[in-house]
Amino acid sequence: MAGEKKITVLNPLGQPPPIKLEPMAPRLDNLDGKTIYVVDVKFPASKPFGEELVKTLKEQYPGTTWLYREKIGSYFDDDPALWAEIKEKGHGMIQFIGH
Amino acid sequence: MTVEKLGVPTVPIITNTFEYAVKNAVSAKGMPNLRFAFIPHPVAYTPAEECRKKLLGDDPITGRKVLSEIIEGLTKPLTEEEKKAGLLERPRERLIGPDTPDNLQALFRDNGWTLYLPIVLPTEEKVAEMLKGTSHRPDEKVGEMQPSSPHEKWSYTVEQVAVNAVMAGARPEFLPVILAIASTGETSLFTSTNSFTAMVCVNGPIRREINMNSSIGAFGPFNHANAAIGCAWTLISKNLGNGGAPGRKYMGSQGQGHNYNNLCFAENEERLPPGWKPFHVQKGFKPEESVVSIFSGWSWSNMGGFETNKSNTIKRFFTYQTQCCGQTMVVDPLVADLLYKEGFKTKEQLNQWLKENVMFPQEYWGQMSGVGFGFGHPKELELARAGVEPYASWLKLPEGAVIPVPRNVDVNIMVAGGETNPYWQGGTLRYITSASVDRWR
Repeated sequence: MAGEKKITVLNPLGQPPPIKLEPMAPRLDNLDGKTIYVVDVKFPASKPFGEELVKTLKEQYPGTTWLYREKIGSYFDDDPALWAEIKEKGHGMIQFIGH
Repeated sequence: MTVEKLGVPTVPIITNTFEYAVKNAVSAKGMPNLRFAFIPHPVAYTPAEECRKKLLGDDPITGRKVLSEIIEGLTKPLTEEEKKAGLLERPRERLIGPDTPDNLQALFRDNGWTLYLPIVLPTEEKVAEMLKGTSHRPDEKVGEMQPSSPHEKWSYTVEQVAVNAVMAGARPEFLPVILAIASTGETSLFTSTNSFTAMVCVNGPIRREINMNSSIGAFGPFNHANAAIGCAWTLISKNLGNGGAPGRKYMGSQGQGHNYNNLCFAENEERLPPGWKPFHVQKGFKPEESVVSIFSGWSWSNMGGFETNKSNTIKRFFTYQTQCCGQTMVVDPLVADLLYKEGFKTKEQLNQWLKENVMFPQEYWGQMSGVGFGFGHPKELELARAGVEPYASWLKLPEGAVIPVPRNVDVNIMVAGGETNPYWQGGTLRYITSASVDRWR
């Protein structure tokens, strides 16, 4: 409406924290002879997908070792031991979260 | 991201429904270009053959083959953006406008900052008036909130809580209650695909000071304080708690009508039977303290038929509540009186009786919620398999046998209602925390 009084209001939004940018891990030259962990986060009723994922990857990329592993606990739980194992023994990781 | 930070290349596979949620989460955690592969939703409860089709098909976000996304995600050299490190500040402007009130109403609504109902616009004058409801400085930090753990926490001050209190139509004297709720850092809009219900119970002298309703229609739209305080919690959850955007930060498949004011009510302390403590006193506060208590969970029901079966009505109800997350009931004073006459001289006695007598089929032991968000009793199952009693014997029970599954879960009991009939309401809400209102006066 022409001439309607204009007002200023306060922003209702909270303050997001600053973002600490993290560099991603260097990529692999190729997957031949590499070990890639396929980690199931264990969302309910998603295991058949994980099994099919590993089966498909093995068929399509037979030169790579695909290791299927379930994370400990439920999908809420962290699994530092598995992450340490992947760092020590693996070259890469695929993690799937069903839904 | 944890493994990526360890120097190992990763590719998370996610269903496309969660594209925004996961990209938003990793951006906030400092890796905005993390390489996902998306597959068509859903994969849970999906036969293997269908899963295979999805894996051999296209990523619905990029249109490229899913397998190509996975392989290239692990092998394609990093871009300069993906190698970046450093700190990215995100300052927020304090003021919005100037603009016309109609345009500002539209701006707030279209940005999802409201409950899609008209608000009181938070002008500097209105916010200054609201701040008279507390002795605390406007720039004092109240807390941090997130819609769920994958999302970043936003922080907020007394002034920012007051802004949202104005928007909810609250009076300055309601502000200490709203600040107490905000201080818990608990959202009313949990991200989950399940449409969570939230509840807030107010105890102590503040109930009468601000004329809260604990009588007829306590949960209904019949009282200024109950309405505005409950509504303010959801505005805070959206605007200060980084929540509420459907498909992004809120994934409740059907949504939850209770979230308009989050079952905000006051306990009818004056009508508690002798020996029944107010809820906040059960939690360690003094009767003369004013306190908010926060609950969250899946279901909430309105129950009748109490006269005939008395406490067995409640036992039967919780027997069939085989869902997340806890056990909570709010009974009319008439029900409380009948329970008292039945022999429950304290809330604690009723709680204990329910814990010992609510039985579930043994088959649910490993499946249903035990405490909080734990699914079932995995540790007890481990003990059972190791031969530890009584768990080992429970494991050997025949199909259909019942055991007291929820024995570790307290039943939260409160009293409210106007004594028009002995009804009660209850559900699977979990008690989360309580916070002092007096601290924020």
